[in-house]
Amino acid sequence: MTTPKNLTTRVRHLGAVIAAALLFLGALTSCAATPEAEESTSPITLYSGRSEELIAPFIEAFSAETGFEVETRYGDSAALAAQLLEEGANSPADLFLSQDAGALGALSAAGLLTPLAEETLTQTPKEFISQAEDWVGITGRARVFAYSPLRVSSLPGTVADLVRPEWKGRVGIAPTNSSFQTFVTAMIQSQGELATEKWLKAIIKNEPKFYEKNSLIVEAIDSGEIDAGLVNHYYLWEVESELGREIKVQNHFFTAGDIGNLLNVSGAGILKTSKNQNRAKRFIQFLLSKEIQEKFVSDTHEFSLKYPEFSPEGVPPLSAIGAPNVNLSELSELQRSQKLLLKVGLL
Amino acid sequence: MIRSSEELQRNSQQTDGNNPPSTLLLLAGVLALVFIALPIFYLFRLAIRSDGQTLSLLIFRAKTAEVIFTTISLATLVSLFATVFGVMLAWTLHNVKIPYSNLFRALVMIPIAIPSYIYAYCWLSLETLPRGYFSALIVLTLATTPYIILATFSAFARIDLAQLEIAQTLGNNPIQLFARIIFPQIKNTVLAGSLLIVLYVFSDFGAVSLLGVDTLTRAIQNTYQGSYDRSSAAVLAIILLLLSAVVIVRENLWRNESYQAKASTSITKAGKKYAEGKVRVLALTLIVGYILIALVLPMSLLVQRFFARERELDLYNIFNVTSSTILVSALGAVLAIAIAIPLALLTLTGSRLGKIAEWGVLIVHALPGIVMGLALVAFGSKFPFIYQTLMLLAIAYSILFLARSVGFISVSISRVPMNLVEISSTLGKNKRETFFRVILPLALPGILSGALLVFLSAMRELPATLMLRPTGFETLATEIWSSANIFRFSEAAPYALLLVIFSAIPAFLISRPDRRNSERGEIS
Repeated sequence: MTTPKNLTTRVRHLGAVIAAALLFLGALTSCAATPEAEESTSPITLYSGRSEELIAPFIEAFSAETGFEVETRYGDSAALAAQLLEEGANSPADLFLSQDAGALGALSAAGLLTPLAEETLTQTPKEFISQAEDWVGITGRARVFAYSPLRVSSLPGTVADLVRPEWKGRVGIAPTNSSFQTFVTAMIQSQGELATEKWLKAIIKNEPKFYEKNSLIVEAIDSGEIDAGLVNHYYLWEVESELGREIKVQNHFFTAGDIGNLLNVSGAGILKTSKNQNRAKRFIQFLLSKEIQEKFVSDTHEFSLKYPEFSPEGVPPLSAIGAPNVNLSELSELQRSQKLLLKVGLL
Repeated sequence: MIRSSEELQRNSQQTDGNNPPSTLLLLAGVLALVFIALPIFYLFRLAIRSDGQTLSLLIFRAKTAEVIFTTISLATLVSLFATVFGVMLAWTLHNVKIPYSNLFRALVMIPIAIPSYIYAYCWLSLETLPRGYFSALIVLTLATTPYIILATFSAFARIDLAQLEIAQTLGNNPIQLFARIIFPQIKNTVLAGSLLIVLYVFSDFGAVSLLGVDTLTRAIQNTYQGSYDRSSAAVLAIILLLLSAVVIVRENLWRNESYQAKASTSITKAGKKYAEGKVRVLALTLIVGYILIALVLPMSLLVQRFFARERELDLYNIFNVTSSTILVSALGAVLAIAIAIPLALLTLTGSRLGKIAEWGVLIVHALPGIVMGLALVAFGSKFPFIYQTLMLLAIAYSILFLARSVGFISVSISRVPMNLVEISSTLGKNKRETFFRVILPLALPGILSGALLVFLSAMRELPATLMLRPTGFETLATEIWSSANIFRFSEAAPYALLLVIFSAIPAFLISRPDRRNSERGEIS
């Protein structure tokens, strides 16, 4: 039985344990807090959906030029967007860099982004700026039909052709990847939900092969697992550089204006809650500068939206790819395409 | 000598029947429950927000049934194969006289250090192998077999050798021995291992996504990433939790039905090993075969990739990332055992709270990392002082992997001879002194093994790490991800190799044989 003396010792122990736990917690959190907090100028917190490999050198150059520190959180664009949506007004982020217009659009729709300054918006063509003018396209990336020149002789004119029996079991798609989902969103926008559903169902009937990522589709075309696939245009070079050899895969653009040639963008927006608005703005301007844009084009084979004269090697210029006329800022309506993909069973 | 927690419970109830757990232990139990309840609470909060239309579209459709079926069947089959295979390997290593047996014991354990995504990647890089369900079955079986080997070894260490000896003398063949004497005694521990494997497969993302198998975890990830739809992901995660609750309850029933070995009080002689030529060749084939496929093959592929790199090694970054990984994983491991030890003590008092907390630990173990990340982002972003700190990440690790250590720790504490505990209290030592001076030192090896298992699980964790780490903080797993994500597998190789090497060390430490095994005679 518990004697009074026992009880007091117990209470004492309890107090000691709680105190120790609090100390432990406090020590750890203070360790993790940024030491720069005391300075008047805190670093820019960047959430980057673009890879470290590509973007880190640019960040270093930016810091060297401006003396501004940048702390970067790398992740998948859509996952980071979801995290920002969950963080809401409490987000520590200043700036979001996305691979995909849809992710930026989702933040814009949730009212998390702040309108961009005039000098950021000028010169970039209007179609690559959101309607609310709260995000801007940095580079362009086209959807293409990647195929094996060895096994594909007659090329499709439109994505609608891919439902024909001749393509049965030969085409790879990545329905879980945001690039494909954005394409579906664009299709809904231009052709309506019914037509899109019909196309998706017909495609499924044609037994496509499913992949997690665009790069896996390109590799599967090279290895002969499939003959063709719907991917972004630059994966050809990405896969080649990884494998360290030439691959037997080529890009084909559909007929001009076909939704299969959708031009998506990678872009950037500044969080409304950022206390670092000016520095964040400087960073976006830096990414839009001529020098960095040229480097984007040569490093990644993406298109420069602001300086179309820098054309990536081995790809037709931006004006010649026949991109469909799609309102990029409406591409955030992923809910609709998500529901559709759920309905037809692709998700 | 006490053999199992059930027996210790019985025993302690007999010796001082009306001794309720102390306030401190109850408090620890409540604290553990709070930890476990944290992600579940936020999960429900997220789920509540979901809109009805999407929800009904998501749940009531053929695809969801299909996904649930795939999840259950994959988990069951992987667990079954890994259990059979793991018990076979452990039995062989334990009972057949083979050269370098200590080395082999360590080598069969090392695959525990290789994450499923590295296996899946190696599988794919063999190029001729297909993706799909059967590939995932093989890959996950290879990756999880060491958990069963480990469980079986620890069960073997507690087998009643007197019975075994008598049965051997009576001319029972190895199969009869196994079925009549060994299996009934190891059943509980092995079943607990099989359960952990079911939960492992439930929460695995790496292998199923690379190999293209639609399990619930993959569906959760896709829902979350595809549409920024946190609530649908949360609803799917709750389905996964319910599923694991069913499995856990089912396993518990099995365990209670099973035969409880009454162990003899002393171990004088150790059982003898089989030394017959044919048996030894067979045994070696099995062991070497597993080591070749599960260890040598993936390692050589990684090494090959390592030398195919185009870039110089960034030693500074490698050092940084490695030490960060070790730091945060160790923090997670310390936190996990700090929860697990009182929980084990609580469970051993037969307290209902302890039982509930133990079930809770197992249920949250089935949560995929992304769900834990999501729940703790929802929680943490409201508390800026803890959000995106190492502490929150370590908390996530400890909750996710508590189940892997709790079993070890309760078993090792329950194995502390009750008479020593009694002597200590007869000598006037209070419970705290008894714990620190008798129980803790004796149970230490088991506690360390439990901590090491959490440590190596935390080292490789990716989805929760991506969401919860401090901005700019990279671990080996996030570095592998960031290279592999842009298809530069060769650049990921140094980090992958380091991950395997640094988890191989704990794996090796866990695998160290007990002294009894090496002192045994042989049967020829």
